[in-house]
Amino acid sequence: MTGTIPILRIGRTLLATVQTDLRDNVANAFQQDALSALEKGGMSGLVIDISGLEAVDTYVARVLVDTGRMARLMGAATVLVGMRPEIAATLVRMGYPMEGVDTALNLEEGLERLRLQTRT
Amino acid sequence: MLFSAGGAVDPIPPGCSIQGRHVPFRTVKRLPPAQSVRNSRDKPRGIYGRVRANLWAAGVRCGRDAGKGVSMDHRRYMKVLKLDEAEVQARRAFFELTDEDLQRLAGLRPFAEKNTDAIVEDFYRLLLSHPDTKKFFPDEATVRRVKRSQCEYFLGLFGGKCDLAYVEDRLRVGIAHERIGLSTKWYLGAYRKYLQLIGDHLFEELRDAGRARQALESIQKIVTFDIALATDTYLAAKIETIERHQAAIRELSTPVIRVYDRILLLPLVGAIDSHRANQVMDSVLLKVSEAQAKVIIIDIAGVPVVDTKVADSLVKTTAAVRLLGASTILTGITAQVARTIIHLGVDISTMHTLSRLAEGIELALSLVGKSIQATKTAARARRKRKASRR
Repeated sequence: MTGTIPILRIGRTLLATVQTDLRDNVANAFQQDALSALEKGGMSGLVIDISGLEAVDTYVARVLVDTGRMARLMGAATVLVGMRPEIAATLVRMGYPMEGVDTALNLEEGLERLRLQTRT
Repeated sequence: MLFSAGGAVDPIPPGCSIQGRHVPFRTVKRLPPAQSVRNSRDKPRGIYGRVRANLWAAGVRCGRDAGKGVSMDHRRYMKVLKLDEAEVQARRAFFELTDEDLQRLAGLRPFAEKNTDAIVEDFYRLLLSHPDTKKFFPDEATVRRVKRSQCEYFLGLFGGKCDLAYVEDRLRVGIAHERIGLSTKWYLGAYRKYLQLIGDHLFEELRDAGRARQALESIQKIVTFDIALATDTYLAAKIETIERHQAAIRELSTPVIRVYDRILLLPLVGAIDSHRANQVMDSVLLKVSEAQAKVIIIDIAGVPVVDTKVADSLVKTTAAVRLLGASTILTGITAQVARTIIHLGVDISTMHTLSRLAEGIELALSLVGKSIQATKTAARARRKRKASRR
């Protein structure tokens, strides 16, 4: 693992919790870490908890969306959970509503959503 | 110049209730009865003064000032208007109000003391003869009280001082006038009369035209200085009132209601401009996050006009709500609105849209895994009706 964002493995799900502000290099390292963890195989889902994220720019948002799409290519569904209201408002006002990535209110809901998706 | 006695306070009648609180009789009874507050306008002095200062600080308004809201606000406005030493100096420099002027004014004190009563009497004759200004003086007592403070104000012009304390005192005038709802036209008009009266008396008294002219110039300077302060305060107070009302409207314009566990409802009523649209988005996001709601229903039945802007803001709100992990249902779409949206070419396919609020609630319930079912008795009644029809 090269980045500072811990990625935990729970069963067939990967859980990444972003607790700091995501700077560009941190975001890139996170993407690297998440993909190499998926590469090891056996994973059906990736949950990214961004409830600790206080500020975001389009680059970081794009990295997160891209990570989700890359994970989808590798057969894992991604859910972004716990986005703060001010971040959601900012992203939408900047014209980047992060289309193409699944969202949920909190970690519990995110895991539930993954469970439903993998079952079907 | 004062219409109403901004700084004047009458002795507090025992037992008056202020802002829902009751002033204990005891506090007031302990006061020495001989000590009157009337002559201590600026700073409360003595035992009574201390009590009064405390009451002031607690927001106490009573006696004839009750409801007028004369308060320590001038301190606050000193900050709002950024009136510090430097600003006062800058203003004085612009009005060319020099130390020499102030000295000259101080030298005119005996003249002022001699002529106050006559000037004030004449001045109020104008105010009381005009119906628009007369209504500010409902009774004789008010007139007497205001005349008293007017004399003080007048003498204050000849104090030979123009420092922060002076400025602070002048701010009260503006605040008092905003409170009683006096418009600036009467205020400025009355000042004209005031200056004229002063001029008349000056020329009569001083004989020496050159000296009188100089004296009048100094008076004009300090009077315009006062007018500027009072009108600035007046405007600041008005703006504050408007801001307070706007805040109230803002509060009322986005009432997010919790209709069921994890289901919120926002009934929008009234026109939506871009400012309000932003508010709607912010408050919706905040409430969704607070309540960890799964669904928010936005009912637009009460919005008279849905144009591209409104539609766009709704689409944006939906996108933002999705980012939080919740969904939006838009209800109350009338035929007219549907027609407009399609004609305008707005793509709202990302949203759940329904015509009636009831359907919206049903959909919302289904999204949280609940449903509305008819009770057994209702089902039985329906079966009976069918059977009887056959």
